[in-house]
Amino acid sequence: MSLLLKSISLPLANFTLEVDVEMRGRVTAVFGPSGAGKTSLLDLIAGLRAARSAFIQLDGTVLADTVKNFSTPTRRRGIGYVPQDLALFPHLSVRQNLLYGRNSQAAGPAFTFEHVTEVLEIQPLMARGVTELSGGEKQRVALARALLASPRLLLLDEPLASLDLALKEKIIPYLARVRDEFRIPMLCVTHDRFEALALADEMVVLVHGKVMQAGPVAEVFARPANAAVAKFVGVETLRPGRILSVNEGLATVNVNGVMLTALAPATASRDVLACIRGEDVVLQRDTAVSSVRNRLPARIISLRPEGALVRVELDAGFPLFALVTRPACAELEFHPGETITALIKTPAIHLVPR
Amino acid sequence: MTAIEWQIVGFTVWVAALSTVIILPFGLALAWALARGNWPGKSLVETLVTLPLVMPPVAVGLILLQVFGRRGAVGGFLHDRLDLDIIFTWRAVLLALGVMSAPLLIRSARVAFEEVNPRLEQIARTLGAGGWRVFFTITVPLAARGIVGGMLLAFARALGEFGATIMVAGYMPGKTATLSLAIYENVQLGQDAHAFRLLGVSVVLAFAAVWCSGFFLRRKITKT
Amino acid sequence: MRLFFVIITAGACWLPLPSAYSVEITVFAAASLTDSLKPIAATYEKTSGDKIIFNFGASSTLARQIKAGAPADIFFSADEAQMDALANRDLIDPATRKDRLGNSLVVVVPNDSVLHIKSAGDLTRVDVKRIALADPQAVPAGVYARAWLEKLQLWPAIQPKVIPTENVRAALAAVASGNVDAGVVYKTDAAISKNVKIACEVPRTDGPDIRYPMALVKGAPQPEAAKKFLDFLASEEAGQVFARYGFLLRQ
Repeated sequence: MSLLLKSISLPLANFTLEVDVEMRGRVTAVFGPSGAGKTSLLDLIAGLRAARSAFIQLDGTVLADTVKNFSTPTRRRGIGYVPQDLALFPHLSVRQNLLYGRNSQAAGPAFTFEHVTEVLEIQPLMARGVTELSGGEKQRVALARALLASPRLLLLDEPLASLDLALKEKIIPYLARVRDEFRIPMLCVTHDRFEALALADEMVVLVHGKVMQAGPVAEVFARPANAAVAKFVGVETLRPGRILSVNEGLATVNVNGVMLTALAPATASRDVLACIRGEDVVLQRDTAVSSVRNRLPARIISLRPEGALVRVELDAGFPLFALVTRPACAELEFHPGETITALIKTPAIHLVPR
Repeated sequence: MTAIEWQIVGFTVWVAALSTVIILPFGLALAWALARGNWPGKSLVETLVTLPLVMPPVAVGLILLQVFGRRGAVGGFLHDRLDLDIIFTWRAVLLALGVMSAPLLIRSARVAFEEVNPRLEQIARTLGAGGWRVFFTITVPLAARGIVGGMLLAFARALGEFGATIMVAGYMPGKTATLSLAIYENVQLGQDAHAFRLLGVSVVLAFAAVWCSGFFLRRKITKT
Repeated sequence: MRLFFVIITAGACWLPLPSAYSVEITVFAAASLTDSLKPIAATYEKTSGDKIIFNFGASSTLARQIKAGAPADIFFSADEAQMDALANRDLIDPATRKDRLGNSLVVVVPNDSVLHIKSAGDLTRVDVKRIALADPQAVPAGVYARAWLEKLQLWPAIQPKVIPTENVRAALAAVASGNVDAGVVYKTDAAISKNVKIACEVPRTDGPDIRYPMALVKGAPQPEAAKKFLDFLASEEAGQVFARYGFLLRQ
């Protein structure tokens, strides 16, 4: 899919939302701190808000063009929306909620009622009233309702924000199923980096209404464009890996041929993304005995000063980033090309199931 | 209770109900416009809508007399072109009842509309629903409790309306006599027994209408 | 807050306080006497120093109020029936009862009316759809009109068209506004309004005997002062004013 947002200018309470970006991913995460204007952006795309200036084009169809004073009304945009508070209709049953958008003449692919309810496992909930559902059930019903209206694009506002950890891990597979089975492009707004990592392949970082960076997820995490992004993104090393075995709560993960020990995630998924924060990597010259399970020989590729710290790029069999202090760097006399040992504590490796 | 007294009661209930039904579409439209959005002249309309509630009813009646009389802006047109009289007919009763009770409906409906989460309406639009569909399938059902409560309140007010009615309709048993007019007239004529009987009916009707209204304004209507 | 109290107190000073000097005489009078009684009262006030307070309305309404204990000094009715009703309840002083004025009835139509109404019979025509009368059941003007039409045996045909009003001036106003086709009022009323014209007069011989009795109300707050005013009302001087307004003088 291609969602083109050009010349967006929307004055908000504390700042102006200004966006100029093209999104092409299957799942794009709009990532940023609370109050960055993310929900306003979604409202704009769905046609629920008007901007001072905007050009919005989805897969070649122009949805809004303020220069030509043109704007497709919401009901004809074919854009599904799952808001943060889900907005299920309280006076209708689950079934009635699901069927509400059934007759819309949206241009997206049509899914059968049975297919959608099966994938999201909401068949037993049909006759119930909306207020009787649990948090997770409401989420799935809201998703199904949006899907059954045959959208061309699905917008999700913080889909996991109000769920506890256990529930989050249960919902992510459903979202992944929506992505894989129904193949509808999705735009997810989130402030949780792990949500973004779990689902998205592309990312747009929005801070104070401005796009700081846009691109593949791994790219943004690995090479944040500026300090603001880096601070918000906060994870320097992201590598895909595969869990080989799980023993007593510890998982052995193969990352590019290197075996790492990490805490086993709750789900049974084998394919994971290994996340390691730069602050959690300790660099050592000699190999003393320590409690750390992950001791990796690594060659220093580059050193980049960042304020009081130095960002060290290493090759440990896979690209690994560490953040150490300047004095430490000077004291241990790090130079590019040298081989040292990188220590990563087991709990510091965060595994995100894919 | 004599036959003519029952006729008066029946007429009063009938005209009050009819006036409530007639003001419903206009009342809901106005309540909706006042609940959502800001538009030029909104405060003026808000004030005008509240006027019949606070002005002396006879003053409102006087205004209606001027506008709908044979020489008035609207009444003149109706009389000359359509040979239709409003003043001194049952239509004047309908008019007086409608004008005096509409503000109650509008205020209740407006509050009810304001309590409907606009997000729900927005999501309905993303699901392909047009303005009317959203209004009738989402907004109105969720505001139904307040709307019905407002209608019953308006009905109760219409049942008891006197000041404006006496200005525009006159007291003609069988044609324009309402319960409140009949009580007044009977007291004027010294027919206290009649007056008290009608008073009793009036109290019962008002009590029933207001009690039902409270019933709706207290309970929530959600699908269970 | 203090400003609030100052304003309230200042406002209270404007409230009418009972005067220690002049006497207030309360007169309940028929609506048709409104315009003639005002100048008469003004003259009396200048010479006597007393103040006249009027309550104008349908005689039937006023009688009812007196029966309910309203503090009237004088009752000036538009027909005998209402005065008799009070007399029967011993609410007026029969010794002071005087009968000085008469009136005649007329049929009036709106100024711009094109209906030709020359006699009572014309009122039964189809194109005369609405006729205003002061309530024919109680208000003297209406009762007189009804008596006249019953005498001519036209009442059954006319009654369905009747719009009853509060009092005779309301009937006049209804005709003046154009909302009815015709009305029956006193000749003295027709003279007051510029928006009506007289279509035909009810001859004294055909019409009912209209009398305006006046009397002192028993238990009046100001009996002496009221008696003096009552005498003034029956005097030559007052009579001239009444005649100017079109009333007929008796005796």
